[in-house]
Amino acid sequence: MIWGVLATILVVVSTIGVFLVAPEDADQGIIQRIFYFHVAIAIASLVAFAVACVAGILFLRTRKERWDDVGEASIRIGLLFAVLVVITGSIWAKASWGTWWVWSDPRLVTYLIVVLIYAAYFVLRSSAEDDRKMRYSAIYAIAGFASVPLSFYSVRVAESFVHPVVFTSGGAAMPSSMLWWFVVSQVAMIALFIALLEVDLLGRRSERALRRLAMRLESA
Amino acid sequence: MRRRQLIALVRKDLRLELRTRETIVAMVLFAIVMLAILQFGFGTRDDDLTRFVGGLMWVTLAFTAVLGVGRSYVAEREQRVLDGLLVAPVPRTVMLAAKSIAIFLYMTAVEIVVIPLVGIFFVKGPYWDSIGWIAIAAVLANICIALSGTLFSGLALFTRARDLILPVLFLPALVPVVIAGAGATHAVAGGPHDMGEWRGYCLFLLAYAILFALVSVATYDAVFDD
Repeated sequence: MIWGVLATILVVVSTIGVFLVAPEDADQGIIQRIFYFHVAIAIASLVAFAVACVAGILFLRTRKERWDDVGEASIRIGLLFAVLVVITGSIWAKASWGTWWVWSDPRLVTYLIVVLIYAAYFVLRSSAEDDRKMRYSAIYAIAGFASVPLSFYSVRVAESFVHPVVFTSGGAAMPSSMLWWFVVSQVAMIALFIALLEVDLLGRRSERALRRLAMRLESA
Repeated sequence: MRRRQLIALVRKDLRLELRTRETIVAMVLFAIVMLAILQFGFGTRDDDLTRFVGGLMWVTLAFTAVLGVGRSYVAEREQRVLDGLLVAPVPRTVMLAAKSIAIFLYMTAVEIVVIPLVGIFFVKGPYWDSIGWIAIAAVLANICIALSGTLFSGLALFTRARDLILPVLFLPALVPVVIAGAGATHAVAGGPHDMGEWRGYCLFLLAYAILFALVSVATYDAVFDD
């Protein structure tokens, strides 16, 4: 519950800050404000996939069902975030370059591949049963997460960037007032991920408890 | 001991294939049909498709790989060889290595036909002097395909609708291999060689192979943990 409250406050504060307080980009205008959500959900989705990978490793080691729950819930939320990254990226592309899709933009293309990789997770899950379902899901969560950096680098080898590069090894290429609101948005999105994860896991626990109760009532 | 097990398992796969000639012949035919379909798919009868030669080659090889990888466990499953293998004292990593070597060899056999054919069909400029560089990239890509293919076909083996599941799992993971294979081919085929770009893609393929080798070795035990 704490995460839910915290996430709500942070999302509201970051939305107000991004739209009303943060300075407008002189070059791109209002559309640049999508950056605060676009980049923040992109990083939050990677956090979600990393959590799923760790949960996969822990499941294979302990064979405890709760790690399977954490893995599936994380990938579900991460995939939702990744789809939003593609959609917001596409909107940004339309506003900046006049086209909904740019194949020469490595980040947008990478996220499309990431969406495809993690969408397949649910196809695999729905096609396997019981113990196998959990085992295969854990293995795929690990292999999928290994594919993410590979997808990132594969589209970058040719180095034909059109994407605005904000974070370089030299630091962030934006004024501190923008950076501050970006950090707030980023923390908000990660808090939102944790809150959604908590709700999802609570839902699963309640469902199981309800099922147990129903079985007990039936046998009584 | 492990080496003997590995050699025995690879020989089993190859002997089975040499007796039936089911998989490789089908893969080669499929690849040729794919090349023709891709050419017709352009909608023009252009003789010189040098610009697209990397894509034509690697899209064909990726789909052919799905076909070959999908067939790779069929004999084991249908004739219950897998049951025997799983109860035999053979480490899972040896099974992984043996199946990967078999898939690697299948892909190599297909490429021996496809790589020259692509030159004949689509390239009107210089091609044959760069065939060695393309072959090196293909060897690296085959290692990637073999390792990830063995892992994903193992996952798909006992699922419902496994024939459908394998491409859905395997193709997204193959996207980086297609990008790198096509990039490396494009860098050296049909014109001045861009060796810097070729090297970059080959190093990427090597990194992919190493990463998937680690993931496969770490998780393959759990694939057949029944």
